[in-house]
Amino acid sequence: MTKKHLFALFLMYASLCSQAQTSDTTNDWLGELKVGIRTQKTQKLYWENGFSADFTSPKIIKNKLHLGFSYVTSRLGSAMGANAIKQDNYVLNFGYFFRDQKKLQPFTRINTGFFYADYESDIFDELPNTALLFSLDAGISYKLKAPFTFHVSAGYNFTSGTGAEGPGTLYPIYYQMSILYTILNKK
Amino acid sequence: MSTTYLNFKFILICFLLLASCASNPEIDNATMLDGDQIFDASLYNPAQYLVSKAIDNPSTIQKNMPVIIAVHGYSAATFEWDEFRTYSNANADILISQVLLGGHGRTYEEFKKSTWRDWQEPIMAEYNALIAKGYTNISFAGSSTACPLVLDLIQKGAITDNGMKNIFLIDPIVIPADKLLTIIGLVGPMLGYFESTNTATEENYYYHFRPQETLNELMDLIDKVRKDLQNGYRLPLGTQMKVYKSIKDDTADAVSAVLIYKGLKKQDGSAIEVEMIDSNLHVFTRLDGRDSVTQKDRDMQKQVFDDMLQLLQQ
Repeated sequence: MTKKHLFALFLMYASLCSQAQTSDTTNDWLGELKVGIRTQKTQKLYWENGFSADFTSPKIIKNKLHLGFSYVTSRLGSAMGANAIKQDNYVLNFGYFFRDQKKLQPFTRINTGFFYADYESDIFDELPNTALLFSLDAGISYKLKAPFTFHVSAGYNFTSGTGAEGPGTLYPIYYQMSILYTILNKK
Repeated sequence: MSTTYLNFKFILICFLLLASCASNPEIDNATMLDGDQIFDASLYNPAQYLVSKAIDNPSTIQKNMPVIIAVHGYSAATFEWDEFRTYSNANADILISQVLLGGHGRTYEEFKKSTWRDWQEPIMAEYNALIAKGYTNISFAGSSTACPLVLDLIQKGAITDNGMKNIFLIDPIVIPADKLLTIIGLVGPMLGYFESTNTATEENYYYHFRPQETLNELMDLIDKVRKDLQNGYRLPLGTQMKVYKSIKDDTADAVSAVLIYKGLKKQDGSAIEVEMIDSNLHVFTRLDGRDSVTQKDRDMQKQVFDDMLQLLQQ
């Protein structure tokens, strides 16, 4: 893993931790913390899989604003045992969830983060292989009676490769599904 | 909900659908390849373009000469390899077949109804005709969409062992630079066709209007080839490959070269050759008809032509 990977992870981890530390001062800050797996398909490109975390607080728009982090990679998807490009997405998201007392909640999110593609040969050193991510997605969340929640959404990434700039395998349209397990619930 | 309201809703949806269906493009027959007056030159005089038609009974010397099948890209014509022919005639002793892709070089309507398998067919027809006439030193050079077409032929075993000596890929497209091509199936039917910005010279050799049906075909082709490369396959025995790829290309993303390098190996499992070219042109080997060409572009074209000719004559 490169220094860029570690730095991106650190930034996102620090951001999540800052929320958690605030909650140490008073339990009033705690809402829900969910962790789980995420699978993502880019339109006409790769399957990318990884993990996801989602946090809410009653102090932040009464649990309607969700703060999340996810990591998905083709290493756990299309590139497993195949010749797809190995690429990683580190994503921080801020989502607004409607109908927060209901099982079925429509949501929309702003996502930002870091993209890295490994071309594995110095022949391609001159090609761009990193990018800042900025995307919007919208979908629905469904909470089961058991402590599991499903998120399904479609998104549009505004920083995809253009041939002249940006990594070529960073595509604009994607679909994702997350299955999250509630590990903390103070709502 | 009242019937009147449902009827109104139905009429509104029909109106929106009809309004979104694009009309036919306005083609200037006198200046555009799309029209019914300008056709690719190879259709008038195939013997001037195809070795299989030019030489009825090749001599033993001719049968052992390097013959290169040169194929153009999507919406282009044989013109794309004219400069290579001119350069080779002056600098080497080789034979060149400039193949016109199926559905190309004719009217907009004929282009519109063609599929990528139609585009591919004349490549195999010329290859088989050369084999049948006894040529033993056949090579291939393709630009842009010609590259996924030949990659598909290799993948399905249509090129036999020792059937081709060298395969040169110029700016191959596996990943499109314009990523909105990935939703052509959704937006294409609403728009009907896309307009390209050609120079006055290019209007004679490249379609001005690109039917959405053909862009769908292009997307289907490159998606298939990408998946094939993802699974991996090998070149036929006795075949070498070299890829030349512009680093900044607004049509075929440079990462296409990475996918070919990773997915396609020589018969012995070793890597194919790839050279990344410091250029921002798509099909940097075709300079005629462009608005602005620099000395650096000309030097790059000459360098690659020399490299290809050297490999062909080894």
